[in-house]
Amino acid sequence: MMAKIVKAGIAALLAVAALGSPARADDISFWVRASDSSFVEPMVKVWNASHEPKVKLTVIPNDDFVTKFGTAVGGGAPPDVVAIDLIFVPAFVEAGQMMDITKDVQALPFARSLSKGHTQLATYQGKQYAVPFSAESSFLLYNKGLFKQAGLDPTKPPTNWAELESASKKITALGNGVKGFYFSGACGGCNIFTFTPLIWASGGDVLTPDGKAATLDTPAVKKALSLYRRLWEAGQMPSGAKNDSGANFIAAFFTGKIGMTGSGAFSIGLLKKEHPEIDFGVTYLPGEKGGWSSFSGGDSIGIPAGSKHAKEAWEFIKWCLTEEVQVEQFAKNNSIPIREDLADNAFSKQDARFAIAANAMAHGKAPYSKHFNTLINDPNGPWLAMIQEAVFGKGVDPAVSTAQQEFTRILGGK
Amino acid sequence: MHARVAAIPGTRSRSARRRARAGLIFVLPAVLFTVVFFVVPLGMTLWMSLNDWPLLGKPTFAGLDNYAELLHDRSFWSSLLFTAKYTLVVTPPLFLLAFGLALLVQRPGRFVGAFRTAYFLPVVIGMAVASLLWAWMFNDQVGVLSDVLLKLGWVAEPVQWMDSTGTALGSIVMMVLWKATGFTMVILLVGMQGIPEDLSEAARCDGASWLQRTRYVTVPLLRRTFALALIISIIGSFLAFEQFYIITHGGPHNSTITVVYWIYRAAFTWFRLGYAAAMSVILLTILVVLSVLQLHLLRDDA
Repeated sequence: MMAKIVKAGIAALLAVAALGSPARADDISFWVRASDSSFVEPMVKVWNASHEPKVKLTVIPNDDFVTKFGTAVGGGAPPDVVAIDLIFVPAFVEAGQMMDITKDVQALPFARSLSKGHTQLATYQGKQYAVPFSAESSFLLYNKGLFKQAGLDPTKPPTNWAELESASKKITALGNGVKGFYFSGACGGCNIFTFTPLIWASGGDVLTPDGKAATLDTPAVKKALSLYRRLWEAGQMPSGAKNDSGANFIAAFFTGKIGMTGSGAFSIGLLKKEHPEIDFGVTYLPGEKGGWSSFSGGDSIGIPAGSKHAKEAWEFIKWCLTEEVQVEQFAKNNSIPIREDLADNAFSKQDARFAIAANAMAHGKAPYSKHFNTLINDPNGPWLAMIQEAVFGKGVDPAVSTAQQEFTRILGGK
Repeated sequence: MHARVAAIPGTRSRSARRRARAGLIFVLPAVLFTVVFFVVPLGMTLWMSLNDWPLLGKPTFAGLDNYAELLHDRSFWSSLLFTAKYTLVVTPPLFLLAFGLALLVQRPGRFVGAFRTAYFLPVVIGMAVASLLWAWMFNDQVGVLSDVLLKLGWVAEPVQWMDSTGTALGSIVMMVLWKATGFTMVILLVGMQGIPEDLSEAARCDGASWLQRTRYVTVPLLRRTFALALIISIIGSFLAFEQFYIITHGGPHNSTITVVYWIYRAAFTWFRLGYAAAMSVILLTILVVLSVLQLHLLRDDA
């Protein structure tokens, strides 16, 4: 009896093991975040159908990526290839956890047309540790149907804050739960992506270019926060905005009851596929008195120090940058290519909205800091605390001065 | 253990020694398990807490620096305070509810088995899974809870469950009651079934009502069981993490951060393992003191 149970148990264990990981020792392990899975999964399938060694893909929830990857690296068992939010590259590079690939990159024929923003963040003391993998730019998404209903011209979206506020007011006046504006008020990452461009386009910034000091205590930051506070106090946002930790970042717009919201290139494909009934437009995130900016984000791909298949890993990375992948895989699946020489392609020509996303990508920026996670993405960190307090709480001035102190403390070391 | 057996004078025969050895072999797996999975990690945590130990890079010995810093870390102490508050808020309703349910399903009868299973079912789901489930149920756009209230006409617009500290904490308490009551109920149930039937019979012969029998027979005899259930429940509440990490994200305004949440942040957001270890040591000390106190207060001979 006992022997039978043991045997059955072992058989079950083996079955589970076989199901769980068909990985072989010489496979290339590759980690990406969940938001990339829509175009990475088909891509890996193509590689595995025609290349050796195979790639074993692991998809990790967005919010847990830094933690998981950091723990793996700290524990001495990193994956062979990692595609990581470009913003976190400096932290891992400065900790000596990424392999120097400067020479390999320089040998690429298209090295010069690789996204500048990615490259800048992946460069440390003159050496390069990662290459661009995927692109994601931010812009203002607006509902053309609601613009029409409110008597606004859907071909003329706002180009400065005054126009944005007046459009928002008119759309909110439609009533019936329709609101002019939306943002995820409890999500740090969402707001560095869609809110800082408002600051940048008005001549301000949140950090100095070298990432060593905070510049929150400045007029451009305060004015942008005041804009959001006015929209909130005037009831031009749904009450859910305050507590949205990112779950409704795009879902709120899907309801068809939101006039405008900051969003990213990913939303174009999603909207076309899942909400064809919403007639939407895309425009640049404006500055206070005109001009525009964008967060050029996305993922960089590199080889963690300690990878056991560095050579094979580089072959795979090189393949990821080819036209075959960037156009036939990424662009086809509604993503922007990271090579400027491929920005104009068969798929982007079909939809002018992609051209705006690609242009926003090419001319946008991203802050440089190895403390990015602690400052910005941490749901309990100072960036989000500032937005919460400034927009929904005590007010802009106290919020900004607290955040300036906290940023300075964190940037100073501890 | 070995020493105590041998210390009984005049009984140290050959067979006794053999029995002692056999006993030792029998407990060896448990001892090994405890050493590998408890004593060694505890020792490592203590050692880590004396070091500046980054997740990436090399540790350096720091003596009591982490503890000194902790003394002035207001966020740590306020997370401890919040955890205590949460424990105080969640324990009484959990207990009353579990006791009530245990009384209901104590006797055999039709459907009793089904009810017991139903009350216990949420316990078998992992806390993280249950938290995700409730996080979506609390969602104001697509969550079922808001929707039901809207359809009933009790509220005019979607409920913002996480709007203030009070509502956020209340929502978590609701979820934890659903999740954990069944467990406490089972502990109390086992205790109740350990009470000899004749005591209750005798009380009934003396004309005691159901209420009196519960008050004067069941409750006093459940003392030890209460102690056990209370310790498990309080320790569980002090170690609360998933529900806050997943549902409230510590908000609004960082007002619902439990101490384990804070430890997690130190280790995996700031990558400061040594500092996190020092906090863990303090938390462990507090829990040991609490458990000893409770055991003392609920002693049989008190």
